[in-house]
Amino acid sequence: MRLLELKHISRSFPHAKGVLPVIADLSFTVEEGEFIAVVGPSGCGKSTMLRIINGLMEPTSGQVLYKGKQVDGINLECALVFQSFALMPWLSVKANIELGLEARGVAPAEREKRAGVYIDKVGLDGFEEAYPRELSGGMKQRVGLARALAVEPQLLLMDEPFSALDALTAITLREELLDLWQDKTMPVHNIIMVTHIIEEAVELADRILVLSTGPGRLVADLKVELPRPRDRRKEGFNSLTDKVFSMIEERA
Amino acid sequence: MATQPTNAKRATGLLISLLIIAIVLAMFFAYRRSAGLGHLHGPRLHVSLSHLPYYAFCSFMRMSAAYVLALIFSIVYGLLAAKGRAWERVMLPAIDIAQSVPVVGFFPAAIYFFVSLAHGRFGVEMAAVFLIFTSQAWNMALGVFESVKTLPNDSVEALDAFGATGWLRLKRLLLPACVPKLVYNSILSWVAGWYYLIACEIIAVGPAHYELPGLGSYLMKAADKGRTGELITGLLTLLAIIVLMDGIVWQPLSEWAEKFRYEFAASSEPMRSLGMLAVLGSVGPTVLRIFRSLFRPILGAVHRALASTPPFEAARYPVLQRTWRIVRIGLIALLLFIVSKGLIDGTIALLRTLMQPWPSAVRQIPAATGASLMRMLAAYAISLAWTIPCAIAASESPRFARRLAPFAEIVGSMPATALFPLIVIFVIKVTGGMNLASILLILTGMQWYVLFNLLAGISQVPADLKEAVRSFGLSRFATWRKLTLPAIFPSLITGSITAWGGGWNALILSEYFVYRSTTYKVFGLGAMLDDATYQTGNGLMILLTLLSMVFVVLVLNRLVWRRLYDIATDRYRIDY
Repeated sequence: MRLLELKHISRSFPHAKGVLPVIADLSFTVEEGEFIAVVGPSGCGKSTMLRIINGLMEPTSGQVLYKGKQVDGINLECALVFQSFALMPWLSVKANIELGLEARGVAPAEREKRAGVYIDKVGLDGFEEAYPRELSGGMKQRVGLARALAVEPQLLLMDEPFSALDALTAITLREELLDLWQDKTMPVHNIIMVTHIIEEAVELADRILVLSTGPGRLVADLKVELPRPRDRRKEGFNSLTDKVFSMIEERA
Repeated sequence: MATQPTNAKRATGLLISLLIIAIVLAMFFAYRRSAGLGHLHGPRLHVSLSHLPYYAFCSFMRMSAAYVLALIFSIVYGLLAAKGRAWERVMLPAIDIAQSVPVVGFFPAAIYFFVSLAHGRFGVEMAAVFLIFTSQAWNMALGVFESVKTLPNDSVEALDAFGATGWLRLKRLLLPACVPKLVYNSILSWVAGWYYLIACEIIAVGPAHYELPGLGSYLMKAADKGRTGELITGLLTLLAIIVLMDGIVWQPLSEWAEKFRYEFAASSEPMRSLGMLAVLGSVGPTVLRIFRSLFRPILGAVHRALASTPPFEAARYPVLQRTWRIVRIGLIALLLFIVSKGLIDGTIALLRTLMQPWPSAVRQIPAATGASLMRMLAAYAISLAWTIPCAIAASESPRFARRLAPFAEIVGSMPATALFPLIVIFVIKVTGGMNLASILLILTGMQWYVLFNLLAGISQVPADLKEAVRSFGLSRFATWRKLTLPAIFPSLITGSITAWGGGWNALILSEYFVYRSTTYKVFGLGAMLDDATYQTGNGLMILLTLLSMVFVVLVLNRLVWRRLYDIATDRYRIDY
C-alpha cells in the first residue's frame, strides 16, 4: 500500500539577493513498511524535505499526499526525531516523553502508562525523573526517540538522529533502532531518516534516496538488497557505500 | 553567576554591600557640612527656541562624557572581575548592589561631594555626569564580565597555543568577545542615561537652586511656566536626537557587532530593522571611513616611529625601576589614606547625626515604606500585565515581533522623565490626586526593562524546540505552558530585577513633584526623602529614609530575586 507520495516538490527561501532554491522538483513514493534513508551533501535540502513531509513547512510548489490525501498543517501520524534532540530543558524525562501524548489529549493515567512502556523500550528505566541536562548525549537521544515513539506514529521521521553523538554511542543506538523497528509489537513500521553518513544509510535502510545539492534533486533511488544483520566488512556493503559516494561526488 | 551560591559567598556579598553603603553614606555626611551650597549661582535659563540648540548640545556632551567614563570603567572593571575567582567574589556582588541601590537618593550627596571638590558650575557638572555614569556603568561592566566568562574555551586555548599574551590577547580575543554585549548594553545605558539626565539638570537642595543649561532643565522650566509650545518643541528635539543616534550610531554598531558573535545557530533573526533609518544607517560607516582615512597616516607614522626605536627594557635601568616601585607604594598609601579618612570622617558624621533627637516623623517611616512598596507592586503588576502578552504575541508571530521591536525601542528610549510634567498635570487634572500619577511615573521606570528582556528571551528560544512543539501538535495554550513561558522565565527574572532597580529610582522622582510652585506629593518613602532633602534639610530624616529604602531593596533581593534567579538558572536555562 502506498503510504506517502511527494509530487514535484519545490521549496525556496528568501535570500539577500532574491530567492534561494533549496529543493527543486522532487518526487518519490514510500510504500508501507519501508525504512528509507535520504543522503546527500550538506545544503541539499534533506532536512527541509523532512519538515515538508511533517507539515512544519509548506512547499513553494508541489504536493505531499499521505495515504492518498493531502494533509493540511501538521501531520499528526508522523513524529520527528531531531539531531539536536530538542528536549525541553525544564521538563523531566517522563514529562518530555508525555509531551506528544498530552497534545493528543491522552488521559493522565494512560499517558503515564504509555510513557512507562517506551521508557522501558529505549532503556531509560530509572531516569524518569531526571532532567535532560543531567543526561549524556546518547541518553538524550533515547528520550527524543521515546518521545517520538510514544505517540505511536505511522511514520517516524529522523533528522540526522545520530550525527551529534560520538561514533560508539551512534553504533549502539543504530542497533537499538533496528531492533525497535523489527519488533513486531511496535506500531511504527515506516521510517524516513535523513543522514549524511553513507554507511549509516547502507546499514539501516531498505531504500536509499540520493539527493544532489543546490538545489536538491533526486539523483538516485537505490534498493538495498543486503541481508540483515548487515556486516560492514562484507564486500556487498562496501561496494554499495562506494557507489553512493561516487554519486554524491560526481554531483558536488 | 551560574555557579551555586554558597553561604560564604552570600556572606561576602552582604559584607561588601554593607561596606559600599557605609562608604557612600560616609561620603555624604562627611561633606554635607563642609560644603555650603548657598553660593551657587548658575546661569539663567531661557525658555526660548533660540537657546534650544545650545541646551541640546550641552545635554548631549554631558551624556557623552558620562558614557565615555562608563565605557572605560566597564572594560577595566569587567576584565578585572573576570580575571579570577577571588576578583569575581568581591567585584560581582559590588555591582549587584550598585545596580539595585537607588542612586537618585544619593544624588544630593554627590552634589555636596563634587561641589566641595570644585566650586561652581564645574562641580555641579561633575555631579550630573556622575549620576548619569552610575546609571550607565553597571550593566556594561556586567556585559564585559559575562562575555569574557562565556568565551569558548577552544578560542582561549588557540590563542594560548600561539603564545599570545598581553596586548595581543586583549586586542584579538578579549575585546572582540565583549563587542556584542557591550554594544547592546551601551544602547540600554544611553536610554537609562537620558532618563536621569533630565532629572538631574535642575538641582534644588535645601536653599540652593542650580540650573545646568540643558534639555532637561529647559523641559522642566517650560512645563513649570506652562509654555506648551516650547515644551513640545523641546520634546521633539529630544526625540530627534534619540532617533538620529539610533540611526547613525546604534544601528550600524549593532550590525557590526553581529560579526563578533560566537553562536553558531542561525535561528535568531535580526531584531533591529527600521526601514526609514536604513538610509541614515549608511551615514555612520561613511563618517567612520572618512575619519579613518584621515587618521590612518598619523597613526601609521606614530606606529612606525615606535617600531623603529629599540624596545624599552626596564631591567637595564634599575633607578627607574626603583622609582616606579616607590611611586606605586606611595600611590597605594595615598589611596588607602583617602579611603580610610573618608570612612572615619563619614562614620563620625554618621554617628553625630544619629545622636540628634529623632523627629516624630520617624515613626511614619514603616508605614511610608509600605505605601511605597504597594505603589511599586502596582506599577510592576501593570508592567507584567502588558509585556507578557506582548512577548507571547511576539513569539507566535515574527512579523509582530519585527514591528514591535523598533517601535518599543523608540518609545522606550524616550526618557519618561521628560514626560513627567505632562503626565502629572494631566492625571492631577483628571483625578485630583497624585497617587495614580505616581504609580504611572514608577511604571515608566520599570516597564521597558521587562519588555526588552522578554523580547530578547523570546528571540533566543531555540528553533528546534519551537519545531518540536509544533510537530507534536501542541495546542496554543499547551505551547505557552510547555515552551514559551518556561523559556522566557529567566529573562523575566533578569528583567524584573532591573525593573525594580529602575523602579526604586523612579520612586524617588515620582512621589514628589513641584509644578508652578505648588508641591504635589503622596505619602511614601520617596516623598519623605525628597521632603527632607529639598525642604527641611534634616540630615537624620534623609539618613533614615535612605537606610530603610536600602534595607528593603536588600531584603527583597536576598529573599525574592536571588532565589528566583537561582531557580531560573537551575531549571529554566536553555543550555545546548
